[in-house]
Amino acid sequence: MTTDTPEVLSCKGLRKRFDDVTAVDDVSFTIAAGETYGLLGPNGAGKTTIISMVAGILRPDAGDVLVEGVPVSTRTTEPKGRIGYVPQELAVYPDLTGRENLTFFARLQGLSRVAAARRVAHVLGVVGLTDRADDRAEHYSGGMRRRLHIGMGLLHEPILLVLDEPTAGVDPQSRNAIMDNIRELAHSGLAILYTTHYMEEAERLCDRVGVIDAGRLVAEGTRRELVALLGERDRISLSVDGDLGHAEDVARLVPAVLGVAARGRGLELLVHDARQCLPAVLSALAEEDVRVRAVEVDEPNLETVFLHLTGRALRG
Amino acid sequence: MKALTIAGTNLRRMFRDRTSLFFVFVLPLMLILVLGAAFGGPSTPKIGVVGVDSGHFLDALRADRGFRVDTVAREGDLLAAVERGELAAGLVVPPSLSGEVRLVVRQDGAGEQARLLVAAVIAAENGRLASGEFVARVAGTDTADAMSIVDSVAAVTPVVSVSTSSTGDALFPADLGRFSLGASSQLLLFMFLTTMNSSVALIESRRLGMSRRMVATPTSTATIMLGEGLGRVAVALVQGVFIIAGTSLLFGVRWGDPPAAAALTLAFALVAGGAGMLLGSLFRTEQQAGGFGVLTALGLAALGGCMVPLELFGGVMRDVALFTPHAWANQGFAEVASRSGTLPGVLPELGVLSGYAAVLFALGAWRLRAVLTR
Repeated sequence: MTTDTPEVLSCKGLRKRFDDVTAVDDVSFTIAAGETYGLLGPNGAGKTTIISMVAGILRPDAGDVLVEGVPVSTRTTEPKGRIGYVPQELAVYPDLTGRENLTFFARLQGLSRVAAARRVAHVLGVVGLTDRADDRAEHYSGGMRRRLHIGMGLLHEPILLVLDEPTAGVDPQSRNAIMDNIRELAHSGLAILYTTHYMEEAERLCDRVGVIDAGRLVAEGTRRELVALLGERDRISLSVDGDLGHAEDVARLVPAVLGVAARGRGLELLVHDARQCLPAVLSALAEEDVRVRAVEVDEPNLETVFLHLTGRALRG
Repeated sequence: MKALTIAGTNLRRMFRDRTSLFFVFVLPLMLILVLGAAFGGPSTPKIGVVGVDSGHFLDALRADRGFRVDTVAREGDLLAAVERGELAAGLVVPPSLSGEVRLVVRQDGAGEQARLLVAAVIAAENGRLASGEFVARVAGTDTADAMSIVDSVAAVTPVVSVSTSSTGDALFPADLGRFSLGASSQLLLFMFLTTMNSSVALIESRRLGMSRRMVATPTSTATIMLGEGLGRVAVALVQGVFIIAGTSLLFGVRWGDPPAAAALTLAFALVAGGAGMLLGSLFRTEQQAGGFGVLTALGLAALGGCMVPLELFGGVMRDVALFTPHAWANQGFAEVASRSGTLPGVLPELGVLSGYAAVLFALGAWRLRAVLTR
């Protein structure tokens, strides 16, 4: 995010203890408008506790949560109207219809009867449940319930959407639909705080990621920044036809390429950012009539980062 | 307004559950019907007689309006009927009252009353027969003529009359409908039971994450608690109004002065609502709350005179009963329905019930707040 993007959420020095266990220890981060920020960590790392404090349903022992500069706490009500909270539990009344569930929360968000009806109809469309709006939620599939659950957080047009593991327990198809929805919401300018223990989701959705372990924020940044912390590089494998030695010489001349080695009928290139320099490599090879038959990119991922930072696997 | 939204949703969810509908609306009316049919209303105990079909003795027995006297053909049938409780007593009379009259009674109040009645009638009949024997000897007439002289003299002889008056209120007034006696008890039992059971919905809300989600909206915790509390009260009130209206229309139950009955129903709904809220905030699982709720509701109902009328309680138990809101509500309804009491007459009961409601709501709100914002 650029520095002129307005800051929507600011968490400063959040701490929370439950009896003898420190669940969250001095966690600070910010999220700007239109930014998706992921809290990545294993189960029990403290993600839900942080989310609960951000949503104003759990009182921190120390620290502040500010939404657009306004403090959020269990006792404040006004700033909560700017937050859309989607908890980890599937918080849906099974014996009410999708429309009734949404209307209930629209009214609690302070919308008038007419405004609530209008927003409910809109949100039903956003989450793709218009056709099943008047069926009881207990007759929905798991993915539909999950979409309804997310829709409840969007009724009042919040500026910050807080999602606690929103894809937990859903099938791959529904997971993709949910993630597409979230991406569209981020593009519309919503700030999104997203917790997950799925590395793939964090990589796919989040502009920045905070790696959380045992209640502490151990690292924070874009995927690339986090990977860079470890000094790791991307690896590009090319299968080429023709003179392998010539191809190697051509590739070596591309400025972003840090190293080249011939491997069987192909080349292996070490680069800082494979996605950025791959077009330059392919273009240089094409100009020298080197035909590339296959390309494979191997990037260090957040799983590797987490392992390096904590000494443990994400889903251990 | 938001509190009403929460309360309304509680009510809507209750109406969606068919099992709840049965327990809230159908079962109470069924029980009032069955109890009224089985135990309610005035009934006249019966005495069965074998050996005489007519005559002075039978007429004398039938002269007492406290009993119905039926003749029975065989002694075996008579004994069986007494055993089955169809007859309070069975009387085997020898021909012409010569010899021993045998009386078989049930071991209850009606049997004892029958024994006293038969003894008095036989004593009078013995006196009549002795007088006839005397007249026959003195006048030298036959027994039939002598008895006719005795009866005609008895008809014009002044007798010592007994004047009977009553004081105090009847425990169970005779003009109380057969369904009225148990209706208010069942009303209280079911209102409390249903509301305690509705506490399960409060725990389900927490388990589903709905409560946390409500706290995350721009709705104060106080409003959420008010809404949840109102929801419980609304459930109790809807059931209470239904039972009162249903039993009035279907069974002709007399609930007495409407403002007083309404005030008692509202006060008891508040008590039940407070208890439901406290229960829903004390337990973690629906199973725990459901089990404890049913036991508590039935226990308090039994102790508070909803299963056996308070009037039949002994001294100590009567004092113990007054620790339950049910006993106060029962007392109030008895005053209104049976003794034509009005609102001022049940102010003490309303005061105690309001006190119960305030304490239970305060405890429930305190616990629920702790649970919601922990």
